[in-house]
Amino acid sequence: MFFKARTGIVFLLVAFLVTLLVAGCGGGGASKGEVKEVKIGNILPLSGSAAPLGKIGKEAREMAVEEINAAGGIKSLGGAKIKMIFADSKGDPATGVAEAERLITQERVALITGTYQSGVALPVSEVTERYKVPFFVPVPSEDVITERGFKYVFRLAEKTSWRNREQVKFIQDMASKFGTPVKTVALIYEDTAWGQGAAKGWEKYLGEAGLQIVLKEPYPRNSSDLTPVVLKVKQLKPDIIFLCSYVSDAALLTNTFAEHKVKPLAFIGTSGGFADPVYFKTTGDNCEYFFDISTWEPDVNRPFSKEVNEKFKQKYGYDMNAEAVKAYVAMYVIKDALERAGSLDPEAIRKALAETKLTSGVTQMYAPEIAFDESGQMIHAPLVICQFRKVDGKMERVTVWPEKDARPGWKPVWPFPGWDKK
Amino acid sequence: MARLASPRYYLPVLLILLLFALPLFVKSPYYLHIMAMVLFWAYMATAWNIVGGFAGQLSLGHGAYVAAGAYTSSLLFAYLGISPWFGMFIGGLVAGLMGFLVGYPTLRLRGAYYALATVGFAEGFRVILTNTTHIGKWKTGGAEGFMIPLLGNAPQHMQFISKVPYYYLILVLFLILVLICRWIDGSKLGYYLTALREDEDAALALGINTARVKLVAATLSAFFAGVGGVFYAQLIRYLEPNAIAGPIMSNQIVFLAIVGGRGTVLGPALGGLVLTLIGEITRVVFNQIMGLHLFLYGLLVVLFVIFKPRGLIEFLEVLWNRLVNLLERREGKHAA
Repeated sequence: MFFKARTGIVFLLVAFLVTLLVAGCGGGGASKGEVKEVKIGNILPLSGSAAPLGKIGKEAREMAVEEINAAGGIKSLGGAKIKMIFADSKGDPATGVAEAERLITQERVALITGTYQSGVALPVSEVTERYKVPFFVPVPSEDVITERGFKYVFRLAEKTSWRNREQVKFIQDMASKFGTPVKTVALIYEDTAWGQGAAKGWEKYLGEAGLQIVLKEPYPRNSSDLTPVVLKVKQLKPDIIFLCSYVSDAALLTNTFAEHKVKPLAFIGTSGGFADPVYFKTTGDNCEYFFDISTWEPDVNRPFSKEVNEKFKQKYGYDMNAEAVKAYVAMYVIKDALERAGSLDPEAIRKALAETKLTSGVTQMYAPEIAFDESGQMIHAPLVICQFRKVDGKMERVTVWPEKDARPGWKPVWPFPGWDKK
Repeated sequence: MARLASPRYYLPVLLILLLFALPLFVKSPYYLHIMAMVLFWAYMATAWNIVGGFAGQLSLGHGAYVAAGAYTSSLLFAYLGISPWFGMFIGGLVAGLMGFLVGYPTLRLRGAYYALATVGFAEGFRVILTNTTHIGKWKTGGAEGFMIPLLGNAPQHMQFISKVPYYYLILVLFLILVLICRWIDGSKLGYYLTALREDEDAALALGINTARVKLVAATLSAFFAGVGGVFYAQLIRYLEPNAIAGPIMSNQIVFLAIVGGRGTVLGPALGGLVLTLIGEITRVVFNQIMGLHLFLYGLLVVLFVIFKPRGLIEFLEVLWNRLVNLLERREGKHAA
């Protein structure tokens, strides 16, 4: 026995003391007098299944903060630098709550941002509301986040239902432009918070538009076979198929649709899996002519978009995605608010955020005007629709709608030309 | 009083007093929140241990009972205005009933059937929670989760601004549960359970109604898991089916109990205390490199399992005996 009980106990105790000591050192008090740095807490899924998404959000934030600090920090605070404190939520609501408590009471951050998942944003917003600390939400989109009368929550992202509203608007617009009447729609979505939210939005806006839902088909995430779903759709022959899936199911559905040659007027995705680079790899040519909705595309026709994405790509080796853009832009919105607040008082920061009206600068890559309504919701969150098209033999997301954001020279292909014409 | 003079008695009393006095020294809401979560996990592992440890029946679906308790009390509160103080018992009873219903047909069988049934039941329950958005006129939220209305400071509805009441609440629940487990361990039921765990045939031959004994253990365990779920609901105030009823919750409970020392009174609690603290500390300290904290956590667990396969409780026993001997010897000297 080389691991005797006594050494074991000593080992345990020492491990504890050391970690406790290190942990204890982390919690510094608020600096008095002159402000040297502004601490911002970031809660992200840095481990677990959503870790890759948390990672790209972290990178985008770090790039923005580097730029802001290099340009002289927050000038109204005597050039104070922004200091980012990252915390791992593991994508778990309870861990998110613990981290929010820590960031506010131990790290004494001026503001909290992040969470990626709506399921973490909801309980975290209760913590920030209780401590009256502003909570800036760049990505989570569940409608209810800004619908509870909270005063300290601000959301840069669109609401989930807005995506569904734009998707419905898009098919109506296409139907009238191309003279292809649209009557029936099939909804295929995963049975998660995100999928159920999308289904609710679709039902509402399709109902208002007077379109008929012929199929509502929730399926469990990460299914191994979706042929029964596809066969159901094939039998009902809907004009439009709306999809809400993560990447493995998105690819499986696309390939199964190809196998059974299902041919509606259009397939329309709801970001998520359809926006994942892996999707193109696993579907090959099958995904050609599918549509997808998002708030940003690498080719979108907006100021600063190209430059920022180019810089990001050089730094990290891949394109930004809509979520990274929101995270990046969020730091500039926060910087603007801090600049106007001129203080670390949470009440002053809250007030400044509420009065935000940004119409110039890099935030243009996301939206021409950034302003929040009384509930803290970004008013004109921009949405674009892209179509998967082959550009020089390589599949790309080509922005096609609305026209002002479209890639110059590209128009939507409508209706879906069929599987044999590829 | 004479008994209190022995370290075997005054040491635990001291320890309990120390736990009660903790909020006097620890003022940070964050540390108190973490301590409350640590006690919550210790509590859950102890509750699981009644069926998983004492009775030796591997339940892999305790998340369902946690969720049953949490949802029951939260729905009753949100729609009927029944305070979670009462909801806690109702939630526990609903969970206990579920434990009974799962156990009744399966605990008569041998081998892996019970474990399989618990997994299947918990998964099914999670899927139902995920896909049910309404029960009648009551909104349950489905996959989007259920939010417990925020009331601010409302002690009559088990909501507090301060973390101190939460800490005391879970501490008291935990101590009650440990006392019950101690009682079970020394009672007739405890001996039945031990006999059954060690050799079911022999226990049967001795005239023990093993199916019934197992069922009692499963129901009790589910009841306490449900009560714990109510506490979780009040502390986090947001219920997400995947987080609360899913395998993450179920597996975590089993994992803590086994690493701590399955089948002993204090082992599972020790597992909950030690591992949750380590998990928390590594996450906060090593958050610069993505995923490092999970790696370190995993490494420590592997070391524990390799060197102390019977559980962390072995450490504690050795330490305990040493301490008691030391104190007794000192007292002996004094007397002489």
